[in-house]
Amino acid sequence: MPVALAAAVVVILLGVLVLLRRVIVGPRLLDRVVAVNVIGTKTIILLALVGYLAGRPGFFLDIALSYALINFVGTIAVLRYYEGRVRRGEPVEEEA
Amino acid sequence: MRSTDSLIVRYIARRSVPFIQLYALYVLGHGEDGPGGGFQGGVIFASSFVLLGLANGWGYGRRAAPARLLDPLLPLGCLIYLGIGLAALLAGGAFLEYGALAGSDDPEVRRHWHHYGLIGIEVGVMVTVSAAMATLFFEMARPARVQARVDRVGEEADRA
Repeated sequence: MPVALAAAVVVILLGVLVLLRRVIVGPRLLDRVVAVNVIGTKTIILLALVGYLAGRPGFFLDIALSYALINFVGTIAVLRYYEGRVRRGEPVEEEA
Repeated sequence: MRSTDSLIVRYIARRSVPFIQLYALYVLGHGEDGPGGGFQGGVIFASSFVLLGLANGWGYGRRAAPARLLDPLLPLGCLIYLGIGLAALLAGGAFLEYGALAGSDDPEVRRHWHHYGLIGIEVGVMVTVSAAMATLFFEMARPARVQARVDRVGEEADRA
């Protein structure tokens, strides 16, 4: 069972690497925001898996729940910034 | 700050507030044997108001957590903390020695009162931290028109 959990952790970390490429390459701002948000979601699962690996799932699941809430608020904050720039007609994408 | 155009975001933000606040109280209550405590619970509690302000506009969030409610809460939490500490002092123990609050030498009773005192100061910490975090957000995000009104009131008070 620990082997399966560790394998899942590795797979999720590989997924984070793929998403990090999307964060860096873009090309649009929304691509980056969605990628960061998905990394946050993966982190929640990662915390749960690590919790079972460490033998203290309750402790880590609490942290995962907090992380989910803060991740949501953070994504909304970034998107409000984006929305504000669009409303004011300011450029939101960097020059290609 | 106007509210967001997205009805979904506005609705989800409003509906998730009670769950975030309930979770904050859970974190507060499990400070002894889990991750969390007063500070973390307070921050999570305040994040519900931050979410309201972000999604539904500054004014909507500020009405849910008005300054006349938050400003007294800032010192109130400190006073709760100080009060419990001094109560232990008056009961014959050291500052913040909760066991002394029991007024008994029975170790079992003292252990119970130790937990009551600990929860008490955690509540004090949570009150101050959540009020401070919400106040920080709302004061920094204050829209220009509100700022102009505040400035005008301040200038009138200076002249008077």
